[in-house]
Amino acid sequence: MKVLSPKGEQLELLTVNMGPSHPATHGTLRILCALDGETVTAAMCEMGYLHRGFEKMVEQGTYTQVLPYTDRLNYCSAMMNNIGFCKAAEKMFGVTVPERCVTIRVILNELSRIIDHLVCIGANLVDLGALTNFWYFFNPRESVYKIWEKLCGARLTNTVTRIGGMYRDVYPGFSDDVRKVLSEIEGAIKDVRGLIEHNKVFLDRTRDVCVVSKEDAISWGWTGPTLRASGVDHDLRKQDPYYGYENYTFDTVIGTTGDTYDRIMVRMFEMLESISITRQGLDRLKPGPLNADDVRLSLPSHDAVYHDMEALINSFKLIYEGVRPPAGQCYDATEAANGELGFLIISDGGTNPYRIKVRPPCFTQFAAFGSMIEGTLIADAFATLGSINIIAGELDR
Amino acid sequence: MSTPSRAEPVAVAATPVDLSVRLTADALLEIVAARFGLVRDPADRWDLTVRCSADQLRDVVQFLRDDVRLRMDMLLDIAGVDYLSYPDHREERFAVVYLFKSLAFNHRLALKVMVDETDAQVPSIHDLFKIADWHERETWDQFGIVFSGHPNLKRLLNHHEFVGHPLRKDYPVQKRQKLSVNDPMLDQLVLRLRQNGYTVLEST
Repeated sequence: MKVLSPKGEQLELLTVNMGPSHPATHGTLRILCALDGETVTAAMCEMGYLHRGFEKMVEQGTYTQVLPYTDRLNYCSAMMNNIGFCKAAEKMFGVTVPERCVTIRVILNELSRIIDHLVCIGANLVDLGALTNFWYFFNPRESVYKIWEKLCGARLTNTVTRIGGMYRDVYPGFSDDVRKVLSEIEGAIKDVRGLIEHNKVFLDRTRDVCVVSKEDAISWGWTGPTLRASGVDHDLRKQDPYYGYENYTFDTVIGTTGDTYDRIMVRMFEMLESISITRQGLDRLKPGPLNADDVRLSLPSHDAVYHDMEALINSFKLIYEGVRPPAGQCYDATEAANGELGFLIISDGGTNPYRIKVRPPCFTQFAAFGSMIEGTLIADAFATLGSINIIAGELDR
Repeated sequence: MSTPSRAEPVAVAATPVDLSVRLTADALLEIVAARFGLVRDPADRWDLTVRCSADQLRDVVQFLRDDVRLRMDMLLDIAGVDYLSYPDHREERFAVVYLFKSLAFNHRLALKVMVDETDAQVPSIHDLFKIADWHERETWDQFGIVFSGHPNLKRLLNHHEFVGHPLRKDYPVQKRQKLSVNDPMLDQLVLRLRQNGYTVLEST
């Protein structure tokens, strides 16, 4: 492609496709770049390679049948999507889940955040050529998946919550397993920090690379770790607390520059905060009811079904028809690993959702990616792509 | 090995959050009602959704963003809705819902614009919020609502050869389409180069 640069020089640009199938995109994304040597002069992003029609499919089933689909949004932290959707649906019913359920959800939420960040940082460092860190991080991640297996039988797609409660209670010995894995994660973070924090190659390739200013990050609608890396102090757990997060002691981690280094390090330090929240959650885990005592949502006990006609009918209705939130339009959001995960639910009072719009946090990050990498080297573009953690399942829905 | 000098990279801040500065839904509604005469959407019984006409949209959005009392600096999402099979719905067929949030004050507000089927057009706000560009493309792709003034209104999630708008209620779930050729996207790249100040002499 022959062009005249803004300075008036005639250049021969090379057009290169990054993706859709490329190991460094960690999913199916396509970035079409015009290169002047190794410098990106213009980039256009294309998404949709993993578009399954989530929003069309969920209109066909009941509200409970939405849950397995939410697993497949951000599949690196499937439980956070379950929790996000259930919280939105519970808001429509006006139901508060019992204390034990809330605490379990907080623990699962924070553990999921940690494993999501482990994948993000681990894979990002592989893009920079540092493979060892990947193994250091994937070992504790595997231990968390073993806990998930014991908890609900599934590793990746857990479907662990139900509207109004949980699929089942935690198993005996859950607390001990989690405490053990938390110290394992602490060890891994220490190892990886030891490898990268004074590593000149890492610092040179990440510091002051693809800087995103506060104003840009806000205008792009960024949320979560990437927004905080740009120096904006915003976390829904602090600013819009839910599930009693205001009663936990933890700090918000914010960056100073908004470069790739900050985006990696904000995630790194956030894991330490999440470890602390998980430990506090385990200390607060007290016996008690797990599911909301509400006939509109929760299945009656086996005993009641066998001896009470009303309970039997209720059980049948809930299984065969499902729950019916009141008609209307409701938006609710949680702080997921990547940022604000929101669900806009429109109900017509029936058993199937009329419309569900997901607000996937990494959509906004990928929308900004093209203009972020313009002017940088093509190798830095890959390092940056890893740092904004694009999960194609959530991006394309 | 040496560490280049630079300010402390990551600050861990324990910020006290003052939740009292948040305006209540009634106070927010009062401000927009006084300025534009907007009314509350009764469908949203949980938070504040305000009805707004397509003609007013750009003025209202700019007001929401710039007013010192509101400062809705973040556009979270744009969602299309097709009310074709909604029970007892007697208004226009489509709606576009804009979700706003203020990072400064932590309040939220949603705008709802009803859109007619025959003239499904809403003015674009891509120049007011950078992210609106892609959200509008997605809504056009899924519902066929045109955002007038959008510089690059192309499909985002679906293939460029796809016919129809899948989230419309009259689009059959089981319908299949054969989509084969990849979008070369060169036209979009040329457009982007021009935006960046380049003069394209030959695009092959």
